[in-house]
Amino acid sequence: MARTQDGRASDSYGGIAITLHWLTLVLIVANWLLGLSMVDLPFSPRKLQWYIWHKWIGITVFLIASIRLGWRAVHPAPPPVAMPEWQRTAASVSHKLLYALLLLIPISGWLYSSATGVQVVYLGIVPLPNLLPKDKMLADLLLGVHVGGNLTLSAVVCLHAGAALWHHLVNRDETLARMLPFIKRKRAIE
Amino acid sequence: MTPLPRVLLLSLGLLVVAADQAAAQGVLLDKSEIRFVSKQMGVKVEGRFRKWKANVVFLPAALATSKADFDIDLASIDLASSESEAEIRGPAWFDTARFSVAHFASTSIKDRGGDRYDIAGQLSLKGITRDCVVPIAVKNDAAGNRVAEGSFTVKRLDYKIGEGLWADTDTVANEVNVMVRMVLPPAK
Repeated sequence: MARTQDGRASDSYGGIAITLHWLTLVLIVANWLLGLSMVDLPFSPRKLQWYIWHKWIGITVFLIASIRLGWRAVHPAPPPVAMPEWQRTAASVSHKLLYALLLLIPISGWLYSSATGVQVVYLGIVPLPNLLPKDKMLADLLLGVHVGGNLTLSAVVCLHAGAALWHHLVNRDETLARMLPFIKRKRAIE
Repeated sequence: MTPLPRVLLLSLGLLVVAADQAAAQGVLLDKSEIRFVSKQMGVKVEGRFRKWKANVVFLPAALATSKADFDIDLASIDLASSESEAEIRGPAWFDTARFSVAHFASTSIKDRGGDRYDIAGQLSLKGITRDCVVPIAVKNDAAGNRVAEGSFTVKRLDYKIGEGLWADTDTVANEVNVMVRMVLPPAK
């Protein structure tokens, strides 16, 4: 077991980091499904409602990503398990990319909404300012950024999950387990 | 010069000015706009009309002969998406196939002092005509143009805008705030 110099166990993520990680996954998958479904709905009150929920979830993802970055600064992630240098680099790059996308995609959505002239009111309580003037060209551009960002995110998430499964099933190391609360608990009992 | 009664002279002068201005006036369309804000599920949604015609004669000294008439091409609406634009042209909303134009015609203009005026008139929308008052404030811009700005509230259900599925005001608020900005060339 890897230990820091003061002897504290550091091979696992803490409960907060683990919770926020999986919560993020649940929210982005839910928002992908919601986002893909809502655009095909016929124009209706339901459609408006789904757009509003999509925006709330997106802002929540943004807030959680910000909290995770702050938390990570105070509670550093455990060092990676032994692996070739290129894999460590790939992991580090994809983690940075994931955080960047979790912040940028909600912002692009908010800006897109502003450019279409539709205000965002988080949870129906907190009105966000319309940062851009209503502008169709700008809106189309931002929608492209939003969709492109999500395609990139889904690709990186698949890579991220694939790599974690590879570590778990092929290399049989702790990479995935240290992000899984239940497996960790089982091992602790053993 | 044979002295004419002052009043007559003044009136004549005014008439000439009025005729001049009626000819020269007209709204600078590229600087003017008709926008609105509606509320959908508590969220403000902005829009505007791309195409409209105005016949404005605005003479603070001759309000009785002043007027403000507008024809708004409802199909030219600019909303959040082409999908919502298509929706609002449909029969539940504007029904532009049958009612393509909204018409406003002023009936009287009242000076409220301090460059503020109340333009009373009739707004016809979707075959329904109702009285409404548009309060405006007039000022000059850097180019010497006169800028009249005002806003008023239209209750969409008064005009059967948004029927059936959309009649619920929790989904789309009844009140639509219309903002008008008209730029008129300098009074000569």
